[in-house]
Amino acid sequence: MSPDSAPARRRGAGIAWGLVGPVLLLLVAFNVFPLVYNVVLSFTSRELVGDDWRWVGGANYERVFTDPLFAGALRRTALFVLCAVGAELVLGFVLALALVRGFRGKGAVLAVVLVPMMLSPAVMGLFGALVLNGNYGVLNQILGGLGLPQPQWLSDRGLKFWSVVLIDVWMWTPFMTLIALAGLSSIPAQVHEAAAIDRASRWRVFTRITLPMTAPLLGLAVLLRATDALKQFDLVMATTGPNDAATQTLSTLLYQVVFRDGKVGLGAAFACVVLVVVIALATVFTRYLEHLRRAREA
Amino acid sequence: MSFLTLERVAKLWPDGTSAVRGADLAIQEGELVVLLGPSGCGKTTTLRMIAGLESPTSGRIRLAGSDVTDLPPARRDVGFVFQFYALYPHMTVAENIAFPLECAGLSHGERDAAVRRVAERLGLVDLLQRRPRSLSGGDQQRVGLARAMVRRPRLWLMDEPLGSLDAARRAEMCELIRVQQLQDRVTTIYVTHDQEEAMRLADRVVVMSQGEIVQVGAPGEVYDHPATLFVARFVGSPGMNLVEGVVHRGEFQPARTDVRIPLAHAAPDGPAVLGARPEHVRLDPTGPLAGRVALDAEAGPWRHVHVEGPYGRVLAQTVERRGALRGAEARIAFDPTGIRLFDPESGRSLA
Repeated sequence: MSPDSAPARRRGAGIAWGLVGPVLLLLVAFNVFPLVYNVVLSFTSRELVGDDWRWVGGANYERVFTDPLFAGALRRTALFVLCAVGAELVLGFVLALALVRGFRGKGAVLAVVLVPMMLSPAVMGLFGALVLNGNYGVLNQILGGLGLPQPQWLSDRGLKFWSVVLIDVWMWTPFMTLIALAGLSSIPAQVHEAAAIDRASRWRVFTRITLPMTAPLLGLAVLLRATDALKQFDLVMATTGPNDAATQTLSTLLYQVVFRDGKVGLGAAFACVVLVVVIALATVFTRYLEHLRRAREA
Repeated sequence: MSFLTLERVAKLWPDGTSAVRGADLAIQEGELVVLLGPSGCGKTTTLRMIAGLESPTSGRIRLAGSDVTDLPPARRDVGFVFQFYALYPHMTVAENIAFPLECAGLSHGERDAAVRRVAERLGLVDLLQRRPRSLSGGDQQRVGLARAMVRRPRLWLMDEPLGSLDAARRAEMCELIRVQQLQDRVTTIYVTHDQEEAMRLADRVVVMSQGEIVQVGAPGEVYDHPATLFVARFVGSPGMNLVEGVVHRGEFQPARTDVRIPLAHAAPDGPAVLGARPEHVRLDPTGPLAGRVALDAEAGPWRHVHVEGPYGRVLAQTVERRGALRGAEARIAFDPTGIRLFDPESGRSLA
């Protein structure tokens, strides 16, 4: 029987479906269905408890776009992504520059540097809350010991947002360091030698060679961190809780609306809007990375 | 006063191996000197020490009258061509070539003009806006060459620049490098393990072996009068025929034979190694050495016939297309003027 006869082809198709089927099933069950269901919910007045609901059309969306809480959370989240990821990028890169040269005990130093990243965000959040506690926190005890002022890191209205940023930076700077190190060590030694022969100053080597040659990888790291920071939830929950106006991010607001206020329909509309924003940002960013890659190979 | 001198320059790696053992070398301005030797002989390390990419463990390097031993590469004013190009992958060809000028603080206009000039000389004009990755190996190395040339440095240093190119490209690039060098008369030090390349390019060849300079001389001199057995074997393709034996009263007697070969030049009695280039060995029915043809191979204009006897194997070069086929009996004779003698103990030439 030739391999492309009708029964053989049918059997081939059977194997193909058998292999792809389970994944497809899981995708539909856990991705496609919830997404569609969420969109459907967003046009209803469903609540967490009770069966009394009706179709409300675009009312939920109207509410989302006019709600000052949503606008505030959006602005706060954007600021959070910008400041936290920006600081992580700069600090992580500087740390990587310091670590890229070999020295005794480099492995041990690197391992210690990477610890915060290995912990769960919830644990890091609780740790942060402990360290930054205004009354018995380690930080304030040290500051007090040095005779410096002891700010209320997590209860001062102007400070708590920045405290959360600080914990995020503490946690994720090592990630940037790791990626930057990979980028830096991928620059061939001969390229640095060529630059030395060409009489490039250290600053010029940094701006014209080191930075552009690590930029694509750093861009990827920023993309990963930014999408993650957009969802910022754990650290806020562990430090100030979901309903604190000074630190409320999109995710914690969403949590507040759905699980505390029980407004499932409104929350669904809310989630849809966030999803669109995230997809738009991610698209812009991947386009940019693709552009970088193409420019390099032209 | 030489333009560049190495005085007892040595390099010891941290693991205790010795890369270069006290090299002495004097290079004149405008000369093209080739450092030739097998891999691991210290030629690249020597070049890198001249560039300042490696610092010698001991010894001094002087350039144009001043001691540059402890200066970084940037303060030696050299151009370097790397074996694997070492171009800046994110820059265009034009930016790569212009980089040394950019570092020197030249304006955009001056840079563009200089890049243009070099690109025209090396045939790179159409590639200026491309990036290195999209170029062939030969083109990438021409960019490397352009980058080393554009600033008109005091020295051009080339580390096996053609090592990763195919044979056809290599010959073409060899010629290009020599033409450019003759035009600018920039003192050039060129490292290679390919003795043909060395012969083709060099004003003088420096043969290195195991971290030591074994012979310095014009290509013809090194070819005709190898200073040691190593040079005799290494230079020439194929290398010199070497036959062990003894010298006795102006005659050479190959080992395990009772044949006597008269010598044109006087040599002390005692054990010796006779060296003769294939072109100085001929198939001759009346020749003194008898043997059997082990192998015969076409080599373009000639045929190489390997004759084997109790004295070893000798390669004769002949223009005859026929005769002396594999397995046949053959006799060979040496051209007396082509005979060289070496001390079997020290390996040094006895001439």
